[in-house]
Amino acid sequence: MSYAGVPGLVESREAHGETTLVVDPARLVEAAEHLRDELGFNFLSDVSSVDYLGWSDEPVAGSWGDSSGRDLNSPGSWGLARRPAPKPKRFAVNYHLLRLVSGAREAPRVRMQVWVDDAELVPSVVGVWPTADWHEREVFDMMGIRFSGHPNLVRILMDDDWEGHPLRKDYPIGGEPVRFSGEE
Amino acid sequence: MAIAPERPRIYEGSRIPSPIPSVLLVPDELRKTDDILEVNFGPNHPSTHGVLRLVVELDGERVVGLRAVIGYLHTGFEKSMESKTWWKAIPYAPRMDYLSFQANELAFVMAVEKLLGIEVPPKAVWMRMLLCELNRVHSHLVWLGTSALELGAISPFWYTFRERDRILDLFEMVGGARMHTRYFQVGGLAEDIPSGFFGECRRFCEVMPGAVDQYEQLLDQNEIWLKRTKGVGLLSAEDAIALGQSGPVLRGSGVDWDLRKASPYLAYDQVEFDVPVKRNGDVWDRYKVHMDEMRESTRIVAQALEGMPGGAWIADDRKVVLPPREELHTSMESLIHHFKLVTEGFRVPEGEVYVAVESPRGEFGCYLCSDGGPRPWRVRFRAPSFVALEATATLMRDALIADMIAAVGSLDTVMGECDR
Amino acid sequence: MAVARKRLADYGLRSERLLWPAKGPGVFEREVEQLEERLMLTTLERAIAWAQTKSMWPDTFGLACCAIEMMSIVSSRYDIARFGMEAFRASPRQADLLIVSGRVVHKMAAPLRQIYDQMLEPKWVIAMGACASSGGMFNNYTTLQGVDKIVPVDIHVPGCPPRPEALMEGIVRLHEKVQAGVPPAYEIRGVAE
Repeated sequence: MSYAGVPGLVESREAHGETTLVVDPARLVEAAEHLRDELGFNFLSDVSSVDYLGWSDEPVAGSWGDSSGRDLNSPGSWGLARRPAPKPKRFAVNYHLLRLVSGAREAPRVRMQVWVDDAELVPSVVGVWPTADWHEREVFDMMGIRFSGHPNLVRILMDDDWEGHPLRKDYPIGGEPVRFSGEE
Repeated sequence: MAIAPERPRIYEGSRIPSPIPSVLLVPDELRKTDDILEVNFGPNHPSTHGVLRLVVELDGERVVGLRAVIGYLHTGFEKSMESKTWWKAIPYAPRMDYLSFQANELAFVMAVEKLLGIEVPPKAVWMRMLLCELNRVHSHLVWLGTSALELGAISPFWYTFRERDRILDLFEMVGGARMHTRYFQVGGLAEDIPSGFFGECRRFCEVMPGAVDQYEQLLDQNEIWLKRTKGVGLLSAEDAIALGQSGPVLRGSGVDWDLRKASPYLAYDQVEFDVPVKRNGDVWDRYKVHMDEMRESTRIVAQALEGMPGGAWIADDRKVVLPPREELHTSMESLIHHFKLVTEGFRVPEGEVYVAVESPRGEFGCYLCSDGGPRPWRVRFRAPSFVALEATATLMRDALIADMIAAVGSLDTVMGECDR
Repeated sequence: MAVARKRLADYGLRSERLLWPAKGPGVFEREVEQLEERLMLTTLERAIAWAQTKSMWPDTFGLACCAIEMMSIVSSRYDIARFGMEAFRASPRQADLLIVSGRVVHKMAAPLRQIYDQMLEPKWVIAMGACASSGGMFNNYTTLQGVDKIVPVDIHVPGCPPRPEALMEGIVRLHEKVQAGVPPAYEIRGVAE
């Protein structure tokens, strides 16, 4: 499977058996159409957004690494404290695609990824895969990323007049402090 | 048979409404006649599955405008899981799709294992498969009972819940609780399989196919059931794929797609089962797909019982899995591992994965992003019910209000996973 | 001439706290002590309380996982019809008992209160499960930390989800309360802070 012809391709990564194609947001719709028409990815499974605010702030002590590096008999094999490599921008929007052919016994998947900062627009792919309608509404509701060209970009899970975008890292978890009966 | 009226069968082309795919908009000339009645099928309604709100615009009995409003059960799962350690985040997963709880646990636990690169022992793999198939039967039983109840057929409810209680007895035997057992652990199962389980499960497998025949006896020849389900809620294969449908909705529309066959996980490539596919794309076909899936799942459970390997029920990687308690008396490393795992938890290497399983509703996906720390950075669940509700507007083109209950019920939505 | 004050146990209200004198009085006992003057039930009131208990129709307010266990008490193994309660009414105007089963989120709080207001008095509320009683495992921005913040609750049933037998225990305790003459929750207490 060669992804060289995807318009706007910035980078292609492989990890854990999955391919991630990083695409320029300005050419997202072209890339989406190319993946759907030329390469046959006709099924959009999921649109996930990730907020990387504070990603490299805390060093992660003792990351265990992969299973070959976790040796029971040599305690130092899990490494010293280190920070994960910083990300290019604050938000990543991942499109998980699948080639669905009736009767097929294989399920090729690919992840298309775009990087945006706060208040940057991402073009909507509702014209390419109609199922993106509600997924993009949820990304807008939870993360505050706006999609240009979306026909109905309103909140979907929270109240219509809710302020703030809950899944952002600077939005507090909320709730109440737990009261213990011994305190009073 | 001449019982059902002349209703259209599957359609050609696409009927996805435009410009908004998930909303049926009333045409302007109809709105000008001033005959449109807007009705709210509120979040608390006996016939919508859970807290779903449908805002429907009616011209007489015909549905001319439809909009689904969700979010009445948005519990903030994803944010809650970000603040818990990997081990403590597992109990959140089954409470999303509360009818097939272990399918959710499976997706999350498989995603964590993929990032860790841990290998699950065969006994745990087969037991997970067995429990997931029991979950599939459980989910379809509750679906059948409640969908039939919504259409007015009250009797199947009692019959399906009789078998459902037998399945919950099996879950109680392994996991201690009837629902939300949290029996899957990162690396395998939380505990060994109890000794009485295989006999009880075998007895269940002998009873179940006869029970499915009983439900069909109640419904298949019933003229009201036939009239209310044949030709209702049509969805073509092309529209189903474009709208991201999966599971029984997709298979009822003629697309032969099942993740257990297309990209087999667990031990599905080592058991024999068929995938039911029907051609007409109406509520009747989806109902038939559900019934046949119950039979196929019972077949898989019976084969898993015969083919269950022995051995360990959890992986041996002490950085992730608790050591057995006998070792704590003799080995210093085991004590330290136990202490670290219970207080701080294990750490998962940096990375992102997407794992999809075939839940009873379709493709249930878990996208996991880890920063190498003790807590997940981002957990995202792709819920098939969320996507299924997008298809409501397409299903209800040129339909009557009474068909809406049948059509929305056949989508088999669970609002817990839809809203997360 | 002093009339011997009757205690709750004399009215048939069984609770292990009344039988366990070493444990101090809890919230329920303290509030019921204030009620004991009001519990001189006449025969007519006792008959009415008996009738209310024996056919207390619940409202269909199943929200999440607890709703599935609530459905299973309607099914034949944990038959709730023996209490006369199998008629789950969809309309709150016809229901006596609101079993809030499942997590209540802020978006759903307004419909819940509206349903509660539409019910006719006397009406009782059972908060079924950990999420309805206190928010459960979801201590976050969107989940109501206990449904008693918006409706007065008579019985809290713990569990996640409570077994059908646990819910039946809650229903049986509610019946005992009603037959002992304890007023519904909206007369005794308001909503929690």
